[in-house]
Amino acid sequence: MDNSTAKIKKETKNKIRAEFERTPLKERLKAKFLNMYFIQTVVIKLFRFIFLLGIAYIVLYPFFTKITGSFMAPEDFVDTTVRLIPKNWTLDMYKSVWVDLNYMKAFSNTLLYSLLLALLQTFTCCLISYGLAKYKFKGNGFIFLLVVLTMLIPHRTLQASMSLKFTYFDIGGILSFLSGGASVGIEAIDNVLASIKILNLPEGLNLNNTIVPLVILSVTGLAFKNGLYIFMLRQFFRGIPDSLEESAYIDGSNDFRTFIQIILPISIPMMITVFLFAFCWQWTDNFYTGLFFINSNKAPLMLAQLTETAVSRSSLEFNYAGQNLYESAFLNTCGIMIILPLVIMYVFLQRYLVEGIERSGLTAE
Amino acid sequence: MTNEIKLETKAKAPKRRKIASLDKRKARVGWIFILPFIIGFVLVYLPILFDSLMLSFNEMTIVKNGGYTLEFVGFKNYGEALFGEYGTTYIQTLITGIGSLILEVPAILLFSLFMAILLNQKMMGRAAFRAIFFLPVVLATGIMETIENQNILGAYMGETSGIDDGSGSSAADSIVSAIDIETLFASMKVGTKLVGYVVGIVNSIYGIVNRSGVQMLIFLAGLQSISPAIYEACKIDGATGWETFWKVTFPMISPMILVNAVYTIIDSFTTESNTVMSYITSITNKVGDEVSTAMSWIYFLIVILILLIVAGVMSMFVFYQRKD
Repeated sequence: MDNSTAKIKKETKNKIRAEFERTPLKERLKAKFLNMYFIQTVVIKLFRFIFLLGIAYIVLYPFFTKITGSFMAPEDFVDTTVRLIPKNWTLDMYKSVWVDLNYMKAFSNTLLYSLLLALLQTFTCCLISYGLAKYKFKGNGFIFLLVVLTMLIPHRTLQASMSLKFTYFDIGGILSFLSGGASVGIEAIDNVLASIKILNLPEGLNLNNTIVPLVILSVTGLAFKNGLYIFMLRQFFRGIPDSLEESAYIDGSNDFRTFIQIILPISIPMMITVFLFAFCWQWTDNFYTGLFFINSNKAPLMLAQLTETAVSRSSLEFNYAGQNLYESAFLNTCGIMIILPLVIMYVFLQRYLVEGIERSGLTAE
Repeated sequence: MTNEIKLETKAKAPKRRKIASLDKRKARVGWIFILPFIIGFVLVYLPILFDSLMLSFNEMTIVKNGGYTLEFVGFKNYGEALFGEYGTTYIQTLITGIGSLILEVPAILLFSLFMAILLNQKMMGRAAFRAIFFLPVVLATGIMETIENQNILGAYMGETSGIDDGSGSSAADSIVSAIDIETLFASMKVGTKLVGYVVGIVNSIYGIVNRSGVQMLIFLAGLQSISPAIYEACKIDGATGWETFWKVTFPMISPMILVNAVYTIIDSFTTESNTVMSYITSITNKVGDEVSTAMSWIYFLIVILILLIVAGVMSMFVFYQRKD
């Protein structure tokens, strides 16, 4: 301890200078790095990093195999020395997807439809969840239960009747009534009803292969996973202090103006999150597109239908020893082409996905 | 004169009642906000629901020039679904499918909670890890799920040797060879059932990682909403990380666990890729819509029962922070 005592020198009247003997570097490093606390933190950090790396590998591996597989030439699939890295690089499969499957048409359709539907869904869900979050009325809880119910019932259960509903679309029998298709069982009235022929749609409208069914579902908050968006937004709106709206009311703004001019602007980050979810899930959705866009032998309308007839429509030669693998690789190439635009978007916008939800103050009550 | 005036005001009084109170007006505006949903639910969803229910009680014939007719057959379709040609396989699929789903739900919950806590810590490359882990939320749904289910390429590439037989069934999919874990656990004497469960979970880790994205997000949001002041107080009082987790984090996040449990059950029971759903789909192509609709209604009732039980039991243990 002798060395470490400070030597104090008086330099001027008001200034003193203290000189310490510094502990040698070796000892300082020892004290810093050779204790249990430091070792423990390093070990935990290392373990955590390796663990996360492992999980990241699990997530990314299928994408990796898809990408490398898409560059392989047919002979690579029968070559036992080729596994992950292709020997003969080729772009044949991409060319085939681009040309034979008419990629651009499906892409532009999907882009247009997804954008439109996601915007509609975001706005409707905002409206509904704002009503549920900020207004107390009888049946509020019940309506919310109904929202959960729409999320709960498997699409499969409703598939058949949903398809029928939109194939023979009619609201409360109005179209049928206007075209004279209605009947009540009494002959005299039936005759009168049958003479009404304003429209000629006794079976209702066939809305298949149009975007109308999806628009109807989106506008009413019944589309794919809309229950989840409503739940998220409701939680978010609950976190906004009531005083904000109250001050707007005092300034003479009505409910709807307050909603549009005060509430919506401050909830833009959350809306972007919901929009991203809606857009991506609409993009890859193959349940509703398969239901409403019946794919004949024409070029696929939507990207999610690319794989359906892909193998038979492609000009590639599949008939050889490695057929199964080659077909699988081709379908995977279709998959890459489907999600490629999403990946590009995700790279730029992924922070909104996480931050939006974090900021939402999502709590369960 | 004065009397008359008084009478007039009295006569006007009942009219004034018509002006609704603020609460009522508020309620009315609230209804207007949720009007889109109400309209949609009543005009579109309810009829679809009703049709679907009716379809399961009827025989449907499609008329040639468009339209269709229904003929009431009572519980015949349900009988067909449970005891008909495909009845036994259906019941079997139902039991094994629901059993495995019930086992998977806790695994997904645990995994997503664990990952959320890890991703909530400050560390190198956190943003990158987050971006990677939430990738499946966006990309591994819908059509990609379908492609992935039929994918034999990944399995093939994972193999180290051997010529492909085209079946695509390969043990290389699993991260760790099942035999290794089984011998390890067997020597620890923890029971074969638990070993089987753990092996099953480890082998389906890809599916679990893929399906816990939204849950991770919800947990992360919950973790962020816990005030750092509480953790600080714990630290000052000398609590260890373990104690802090069980005494602070866990109770504070318990509402999230309930939400996630409900979401996970809904999500994994209604996804296209689970065994029961894909079996029902295959039945649609074989027998027709009526029987498969009956089957999915039976399935749906079971799911709702499970959901109610889980939500009921869990909500007894949920801790809500008082906010006054």
